[in-house]
Amino acid sequence: MKWLKKTLRREQRELEHARRRFIRRPDEAHLHDVRTAGRRFRSLLEDVAVLVQSKRLRRRVKRAAAATDAARDTAILVRLLEVSVGDAEAALARPLLERLRAQEHRATRDARKELRRTHFAP
Amino acid sequence: MKAQRVDLRGVGDLRGLAERVVRVRLREARTLARALDRRDCQSLHDFRIACKRLRYALERFQGLDASLETIAGRLAAVQERLGEAHDRDVLLAILPAAMSATERRLQAEREASIDRARAHWQECEQLMQALDSHRI
Repeated sequence: MKWLKKTLRREQRELEHARRRFIRRPDEAHLHDVRTAGRRFRSLLEDVAVLVQSKRLRRRVKRAAAATDAARDTAILVRLLEVSVGDAEAALARPLLERLRAQEHRATRDARKELRRTHFAP
Repeated sequence: MKAQRVDLRGVGDLRGLAERVVRVRLREARTLARALDRRDCQSLHDFRIACKRLRYALERFQGLDASLETIAGRLAAVQERLGEAHDRDVLLAILPAAMSATERRLQAEREASIDRARAHWQECEQLMQALDSHRI
């Protein structure tokens, strides 16, 4: 099916572009883009699994997504904690915030390292 | 939660492909929608993933039927609210016990997000009923 071939190629290319952008500039926006592109592409591969043999590719996309989970989770927790704590509990939150910020930094670095090794180019 | 396999045997064109994929993803989401009553973390997470799969499928095929885009938009709102609830669940799990005021606030926000997700899902259901009665 022509549509399917074209769509697969386009979504795979979008994921590869998002991956490269994240490698160049590993910030929250690029992390979000690479995760979204990965999820979209994976869902397409799952939808058409009967027509397109892609077990290894699906596994690669899944592994790459998992490598970015910690970076995304900690980034979200930091932002949420920053806006949720009132003045009365700010001092109690500080050690947790510092720990989460350090985790976010490490997790983003690890995600970048993993994504440098993984390519999606069609 | 693993995606259900879509049986595409005998499918020869794009419309047929869209029809089968959307039906399966729709069934998955509807089955998992009971999470909105259970309100536990894991059920809500599974339902959110099912909504995501359905939304991606609808967006991919929206050129075939204008109503798919509208439903996808409502599903994005469901997902957004469930995402907010999930983020609060994760933070609540690691919050120091002494931070009771923050805990209460996050709990209240979580419940409000689930209520809003339920309202968006009901809108989706109304829109999707039309899909049940006609071919894409």
